[in-house]
Amino acid sequence: MSLVVKPNFPDYQTAPVQRGFNPYADNGGSVVAIAGDDFVIIGADTRLSAGFSIYTREQNKLFPLSSTTVLGCSGCWCDTLTLTRILKSRMQMYQQEHNKTMSTTACAQMLSTMLYYKRFFPYYISNVLVGLDNDGKGVVYSYDPIGHCEKRTHRAGGSAGALLQPLLDNQIGKKNMLNVKEEPVSQQRALSIIKDVFISAAERDIYTGDSILINIITKDGIKEETFQLRKD
Amino acid sequence: MSILAYNGGAMVAMKGENCVAIAADRRFGIQAQTLATNFEKVFEMGPHLYVGLPGLATDTQTVREKLRFRKNLYELKENRLMSPKVFSAMLSHMLYEKRFGPFFVEPVVAGLDPKTYEPFICNMDLIGCINQPKDFVVGGTASAQLYGMCEALWEPNLGPEDLFETISQALINAFDRDAVSGWGATVYIIEKDKVTIKNLKTRMD
Amino acid sequence: MFSAPPFWQNGPAPGSFYDFPNMQPQVQPNDFRQHTQSPVTTSTSLVAVTYDKGIIIAGDLLASYGSLARYRNCPRIVKVNNNIILGSSGDYADFQYVQNFIEQKVISDECLDDGITLKPKSLYCWLTRILYNRRSKMDPLWNNFIVAGIQDGEPFLGTVDKQGTAYSDKIICTGYGAHIATPMLRDALDNKPQLTQAEARAQVERCMEVLYYRDARSFPKYQLGIIDADQGVSIEGPLQVAQNWSVAHSIKGY
Repeated sequence: MSLVVKPNFPDYQTAPVQRGFNPYADNGGSVVAIAGDDFVIIGADTRLSAGFSIYTREQNKLFPLSSTTVLGCSGCWCDTLTLTRILKSRMQMYQQEHNKTMSTTACAQMLSTMLYYKRFFPYYISNVLVGLDNDGKGVVYSYDPIGHCEKRTHRAGGSAGALLQPLLDNQIGKKNMLNVKEEPVSQQRALSIIKDVFISAAERDIYTGDSILINIITKDGIKEETFQLRKD
Repeated sequence: MSILAYNGGAMVAMKGENCVAIAADRRFGIQAQTLATNFEKVFEMGPHLYVGLPGLATDTQTVREKLRFRKNLYELKENRLMSPKVFSAMLSHMLYEKRFGPFFVEPVVAGLDPKTYEPFICNMDLIGCINQPKDFVVGGTASAQLYGMCEALWEPNLGPEDLFETISQALINAFDRDAVSGWGATVYIIEKDKVTIKNLKTRMD
Repeated sequence: MFSAPPFWQNGPAPGSFYDFPNMQPQVQPNDFRQHTQSPVTTSTSLVAVTYDKGIIIAGDLLASYGSLARYRNCPRIVKVNNNIILGSSGDYADFQYVQNFIEQKVISDECLDDGITLKPKSLYCWLTRILYNRRSKMDPLWNNFIVAGIQDGEPFLGTVDKQGTAYSDKIICTGYGAHIATPMLRDALDNKPQLTQAEARAQVERCMEVLYYRDARSFPKYQLGIIDADQGVSIEGPLQVAQNWSVAHSIKGY
């Protein structure tokens, strides 16, 4: 290494100044999903923000793709808008080509492919796809921004994902607990856990708050519910 | 990568009813490689006073020795025990002295006042900014996970047994979601007339 | 091209810099096909609020050139058709470009003569795609647009920024107004969720006054766009900010 300290005189720089444009924005938001035997619940907060500004306190981040499939998105909002619009048209194209609605498992695979298609200019979104599979069982698929897909029973994604995931592992996955009965989570318990974890997240994550929108998917359809969070 | 995350580590302290608890993981590693699973990050500084120093392992040990020296000198000069509050102020000053070339540790202090046995917890950043809440403090690479766990599990006026269960569950489930901490845990429950130290078996991956 | 020899050996040539020894290597851009610009002639905040039967939107008439108050009569709240108002903050040239092809679209819709006109949500969605496609080419239109309109008898207020981030709400402010006017308007709506047109107008005028005091790139001359379910579109102005500097003499010491 040279011992000479190189001088730096900004006024004498002749190279053109490169002004950056950042095509991505972090608009925050969290998504939590829990799957049961005959249902699946997904919740997302309704705060849309950037930096220290709250854009709106009532932004829906859950996108129903069919009567048994819902996608939850958080991250870069402009990418979310684009991705969900393309997804909607792909769902319609499938419906018209095959004269049947795309199954949740097929949606999950398609989403992975669509994300990887933009591998080198990714959609900066944390996606959580939930639905009922062909046997009517609840499933949760979670993705990274470039299409890695994993099927699981519970998932927390978005700005408070790191805060909430260990809590779900403990309460739903029964991790680090001795002498527990292996029994499937009930719909009521899943719903109250989702509300509890969002209350915790709103305490410590500034990008999560205002309220949550919950979708409960059963064979009878999608039921919507809202729940107020702190608004500061 | 931040130098604070070079060795990894998770730390948490909680207040209970007439007791406090402090817990940490036992991993020592260099980035992703685990080198030891018996590394202490929590140190006894008095009969009812414990300090946890998560962060860069070399600074953990250096700061521990400097604290021990300063605390011993205080006790010899004053002929009395150091209270957690005074200890924290001393540590904070020590860290701020190195404002522009800091020790890379984020200390957590837990203890009982030597006279009143009032529970005390606090933590600070690497340059000594003290935070003294009434519920719990966290530190280390799993702090986001710990915040989520503690915010949901902690409740006021926990007895020593319940406090042990709460802090253990919070720590273990948090560091299971952190790649660079875990590999066993140590929990200290500090009460007026006894300190219980428990080593927890956890998943080792 | 002619270039004069240096004054002395290894010295600077006339009109060029002295080459310091051991200078940090000067970074040359390796890709000259770089689009990304920065805004040049800019306009500042927009303030928009929904009331019971419509929307009020306000923005001043200044187009700045950096800190220079360059053009002082630049309208940026425009009527698109009988049920849409468009507002823009950010680069004024980009706004004129967008305004141009929206006008073309309105004309070609008119030529079809089928009685169908552009709807607010359609324009909002269209702008979202235009801005998102430009950001994906790394050649953004440096604007924050606000679309205000009446669709199916209901007021619609939406915004799109240079990245294509879009949302609709009852209150939307851009630029400095997002920090100063939004809290004032949210407070007003918390106290009374359904404002009347007169109340909304009073709130917007108050916001324009405060913004004029606190935003260094603002201007006292502004326009007010009102779109109402019954009365249709009207663009008022130029209006003047009600100024009151009577307390100015007491502000000192910093």
